[in-house]
Amino acid sequence: MIELLAPAGNLERLKIAYLYGADAVYIGGYNYSLRANAINFSLAELKEAVSFAHNLQKKIYVTVNIVLHNKEIEGLVPYLQELASIGVDAVILSDIAVVKAITKNKINLEIHLSTQASTLNYEAALFYKKLGVKRIVLAREASREDIKIIKEKTSLDLEAFIQGAMCTSFSGKCVLSNVTTNRDSNRGGCAQICRWTFKINDEKNVFSMTPKDLNMSRYLEDMMNIGINSFKVEGRMRSIYYIATVVYEYRKLIDKILNSTITESDILYSNDIINRCANRESTPQFYDKLPTHNEQYYLGREEISNQDFLGLVLETIDNKTLIEERNFFKKGDEVEFFGPNIEPISYKINKIYNENMEEIEVARHPQMKVYLEVPTKLPNGSMMRLKVFDKKDYL
Amino acid sequence: MTKNNILLLVQDLNLVSSLKKENAITFLFPIKDYAIGFPKTFSIDEIKEEAFIFVNRIMDNETIASFKSFLNELPPHIKGIVFDDLGVLNILIEHPHNLTKILFLNHLNCNYESINAYLEYVDSVVVSPDLTFTEIDEILLKSHKPLVLYTFGHVNIMYSRRTLLTNYNAHFNLKVPNQATLEEEITKQKLKIIENPYGTVIYTARPFNALSLRAKPNVLYNLINTVFLTNEEVKEILTSEDNLETKYPYKYLSMKNTIVKIKEEEK
Repeated sequence: MIELLAPAGNLERLKIAYLYGADAVYIGGYNYSLRANAINFSLAELKEAVSFAHNLQKKIYVTVNIVLHNKEIEGLVPYLQELASIGVDAVILSDIAVVKAITKNKINLEIHLSTQASTLNYEAALFYKKLGVKRIVLAREASREDIKIIKEKTSLDLEAFIQGAMCTSFSGKCVLSNVTTNRDSNRGGCAQICRWTFKINDEKNVFSMTPKDLNMSRYLEDMMNIGINSFKVEGRMRSIYYIATVVYEYRKLIDKILNSTITESDILYSNDIINRCANRESTPQFYDKLPTHNEQYYLGREEISNQDFLGLVLETIDNKTLIEERNFFKKGDEVEFFGPNIEPISYKINKIYNENMEEIEVARHPQMKVYLEVPTKLPNGSMMRLKVFDKKDYL
Repeated sequence: MTKNNILLLVQDLNLVSSLKKENAITFLFPIKDYAIGFPKTFSIDEIKEEAFIFVNRIMDNETIASFKSFLNELPPHIKGIVFDDLGVLNILIEHPHNLTKILFLNHLNCNYESINAYLEYVDSVVVSPDLTFTEIDEILLKSHKPLVLYTFGHVNIMYSRRTLLTNYNAHFNLKVPNQATLEEEITKQKLKIIENPYGTVIYTARPFNALSLRAKPNVLYNLINTVFLTNEEVKEILTSEDNLETKYPYKYLSMKNTIVKIKEEEK
């Protein structure tokens, strides 16, 4: 069983991730979780999330992956007991204090070791295995050969990132944010100093260490063959559009690999869709070689935002599709719908109606609700995007 | 003031020669191919006196395999090891050694529970320098064994597997040396950067002065990192009775709790 594991920073994103094909979702509580500035989940929301996941026979993992300071020790055991009692399927952790809290108190939680632990060799993996770790989220620096050997020598479940932002540093080995801004990188406050720019010696060209993103769409099959059990998408701070797009494309690729129908055009097409949505260029990073200057940016942040996400399908009423607008669109635009369990549907907008069913020319206000005459009944939660790529061009 | 013993992370054999009669100093040598972030690393053949070795690379499978052989061939005057990778710990558990084993899981040993958990496997742990002095005091109080405190020196604040200076040179066709100074463009904060074939390390531009920790109880060693310091500076630090706070005022992260949630900070 190959798992597609998606991030979610709140309940809406979690539901989208499952609907678009994630087998499992990882989330954070209010405390003990990196991405402290994501919205994150209260205990009541965690319960709702677990219930939602399990009703779909899917899994849910909770991050308890900060580096704990003394003051965080006190509430740790009750928090873990609470997570166990509401039925989360595993916790993702990096601090041995959390491992010991679980094992010593016999708390019924499966342990996944976070990438924060930067596991890059089988000896380290074996140490964690003895502690009771069931799965290791590998260091992002792990090469194909590293992964293969760790699998062969440990038989542990292995999880690897396939998509998303990269740290410049080994995870957990950077406190640039603490030093520069007093925001604690290993407790969820990272200010991403590695995406800032620096003067170096007397050089005129600015120095930057900004990495491009990770994208492993081309290597999924190879990763399956060398023993990866779970494909992880980074990004608990990401939008519903990003999560839907990325999960949707990777779901398709994984399924096509599993039923032996994958083609080069599938990979190229999905790659273009994912890259456009990700706003940054992406590469396989450490998987096939040591990253060079080609895997970095040199002007600090180089993010290209777009307004491709046009609207969210709320429901279909009397053959009209109710859309909640996200970005400007108008009559005559060529758009595309994608959604849970449907192939992308191209559509030229011929008429737009406002909520009073009056015909209008444009939808210009985010969150405004409009009706379109889409000939196909779309699943609720489908998304409408600008049509940029046409699968036919890849055949 | 009764001072604790010193673990001196060295860069210069001349300094070692001039200090080797000092009983309270244990020399710690960063080891060639297994240490990162140093202008100078040492082969075992270069180490002539009783000493500890410093091994702070995060190792891939190939490196950990070669390290295993290296460990088996250590001469008897190597008395201890300070290491970061838990693969090294696993090797030391599986193949017991007489070495004094000290874990320096940089940035990650930040609470007494974690430290006590690792103390089940090692002789001591280097307490993360990223803590406040108040947090360190509580850890010392609750630790099951004497600990090592980062007491003076530039602090390694970022370790990347990427060869960031080589990449920069390749991109702009430049020849910046493998050791340089960075200045962040907004805050003007300076940092030191150093690269070797195994990656890149960024250090604080100024040395962290925690000499006030020299007389703390439950301490096995006070660690002094000599990287970027002159021999004269090191000798002054070692011999000074006062804490040299005028000359070295930088307190790193020791005086103020870091911010975890921005929204809470704004309230």
